[in-house]
Amino acid sequence: MSTMLRQTTAMLVDAYRELAAGKLFWVTMLLSLLCVGAFAMVGINETGLTVLWYTIPIDVFNTGVISEPLFYKMIFLNLGIGIWLTWVATVLALVSTSGIFPSLLTGGQIETMLSKPISRWRLFLTKFGTGLVFVALQVTVFCVASVLVIGFRGGSWMPEIFISIPIVLAFFSFLFSIMTVFGMITRSTIASLLLTILVWFVLFLVNITDNILVQQHEGLKIQVTKLEERLELADENARVMYIATQRREGNDLPDDYPATDDEKYTVNVFLPSLRDRLENRKDMVESLAPWRRGIYFAKTVLPKTSETIGLLGRYAMSKEDLDTLMEMGDGRGKTTVNEETGEVNVAPQELSKASAEVFNNRSVAWVLGTSFGFEAVMLLIAGTMFARRDF
Amino acid sequence: MSDLAIDLTGVSKNYTRRFKKPTPALRGVDMRVHRGEVFGLLGPNGAGKSTLVKILMTVIRPTQCKGSILGQRVGHKPTLAKVGYLPEHHSFPGYLTGAQVIDFFGAMTGVPRRERRQRAGELLELVGMSEWSKRKLRSYSKGMRQRVGIAQALINDPDLVLLDEPTDGVDPVGRRDIRKVIERIKDEGRTVFINSHLLTELEAVSDRVAILVKGVVAQQGTIDELTQGQLRYELVVGASDSAGELLQRALPEGSRQLALPEDESQLANRIGFKGLLPTGESIEVARNTLTIGSDDPKLIQPIIDRVRAEGGVITSVRNVRPSLEDLFMQAVTDPTTGETLKPGAEEGGGR
Repeated sequence: MSTMLRQTTAMLVDAYRELAAGKLFWVTMLLSLLCVGAFAMVGINETGLTVLWYTIPIDVFNTGVISEPLFYKMIFLNLGIGIWLTWVATVLALVSTSGIFPSLLTGGQIETMLSKPISRWRLFLTKFGTGLVFVALQVTVFCVASVLVIGFRGGSWMPEIFISIPIVLAFFSFLFSIMTVFGMITRSTIASLLLTILVWFVLFLVNITDNILVQQHEGLKIQVTKLEERLELADENARVMYIATQRREGNDLPDDYPATDDEKYTVNVFLPSLRDRLENRKDMVESLAPWRRGIYFAKTVLPKTSETIGLLGRYAMSKEDLDTLMEMGDGRGKTTVNEETGEVNVAPQELSKASAEVFNNRSVAWVLGTSFGFEAVMLLIAGTMFARRDF
Repeated sequence: MSDLAIDLTGVSKNYTRRFKKPTPALRGVDMRVHRGEVFGLLGPNGAGKSTLVKILMTVIRPTQCKGSILGQRVGHKPTLAKVGYLPEHHSFPGYLTGAQVIDFFGAMTGVPRRERRQRAGELLELVGMSEWSKRKLRSYSKGMRQRVGIAQALINDPDLVLLDEPTDGVDPVGRRDIRKVIERIKDEGRTVFINSHLLTELEAVSDRVAILVKGVVAQQGTIDELTQGQLRYELVVGASDSAGELLQRALPEGSRQLALPEDESQLANRIGFKGLLPTGESIEVARNTLTIGSDDPKLIQPIIDRVRAEGGVITSVRNVRPSLEDLFMQAVTDPTTGETLKPGAEEGGGR
């Protein structure tokens, strides 16, 4: 075994020992297992939701609407990953790992570590890597337990769930790189943790803004499409009605007579407002464009925490699964246009589908590549500080 | 292979802070440590001892440094595989046991697992910590941690061992044990570099010493070399108010007093008489003690006769060799004021 491998193994084993010595690691592990335990208690049958031996009849949640494996997969992604691993467990992981660099720098360990035949950059990067051990262990245990639950309870074995491990790890590494920079600057566990949570909150706000803009944009686009369809139909109807009206009044117009707008307005008084609304919606789509570009640029240079987790949906859910989920529910899936006012009532399902498509069209290379780029910059800053500092 | 384990020329270090004047910690240190010897580095607080050790161990980047460690330039990382180091204010992880600490740092130095296991047991035995090897460090006393620290510094079978304040926080029994460990390391042919302000400890184990004052080496060599020409005779008479006057009266004809600064009343109080014998040797009378700066017994004989003739009672006559503490105090004392130099390494403060 080479010296490099020996050092890396020793640091990984040490990281595990450090984590195992902390209560928070075991508390998080216990909570993770309780989460999976709760997950195992919930099920679905032909009449509704089941909790242990009890059945709660629900129209939208039964095996007639959604298959058992898809139900479990949905719970795993939305609750297990979406809430537990990306929020609660991540906060606990940040708390657990926030002291790694500050304690290395201030705790009297650094002299001994730097006096070993290992370069500062390698020491720094290996230490950073060991900081990810916490999350790797937690996510692995969670995924294994979840696969077992889905397998035994849902009757479907889903190894694709293991894609969660690298994705959640990547997500955490973005935050951990930010915390490393703050740890290097402040040398304080509390300060680096709080500042990281603050940055995470800012990222969350940027993401929320992006979501709102995408939803607005897609909603307006649906409105424009629907209005254009409606307008085309109304326009043609008005032309035909105008010809019919004129014929009744003795003016023999040919079938292909192209009525003017004013002529059409005489038979359909709502047509002008329909046109105005269409133009107005088109203007609104245009006015959103610079904001969308701004947010897209901001997201390009920032780590995309939510979209990284969102990648799980792409890999763990098939198109059929997504369609099934989209179609769940009743007639809310249809967008309607008010004939008189031209007001478009965009169906939430359609809006969600269109928005999801926008996010799915953002390439994995963009989501992960630029986020890893950000992480690399963070590590470059922190690593340079570590490599150049006197201790 | 060079005979020198450490060979330094003109090592300097300025600590820089944004918008502040650089603070010099080392101002051109020249130092040579031979292979197989125990070398003691001493100096007052702020003299730059730890900074120098940290530069050797790549913990601090020097402003200027020419020299080598085990034949390689200072800063050459692979060379550190053959160096053991015990930092001054170390803090090994409390969640590890003594054996795990040694194993971890052994692995970090690249020692194979089997060798680590074998050597860890031997080293824990050496530092007297075998019975505590499986207990967590958080339950150790400071002295115990220090022992484990020394053991970890030896896990890689080093050619050179740097110990920064190895007896810090250790009780007298522990100090004796550590001294024995150092002697054993030396017997194994390794070079030991000790940084300490415990002068008696250093004097007991060191072959050569360097005294660092205000960022420069004030003196360097074996204790014999450093005390050469500083052997003296001390004559002590029974304590009384007139003891000092009695000793001054007993001085040979032609002895002359050196002028003491008038405004230095403290020094005047401490030293009743400071001057030269007719033959040129220094002479000093402080209370009931007379000191002649020579190891020639002939010079003291007439003084003894006169003291006895005056009715004085001589309580002791000793041929004294300066201790390491004397050398140290000389190095850190301003010869004109008799005051010790202030800590730090500011320009102009060195000797």
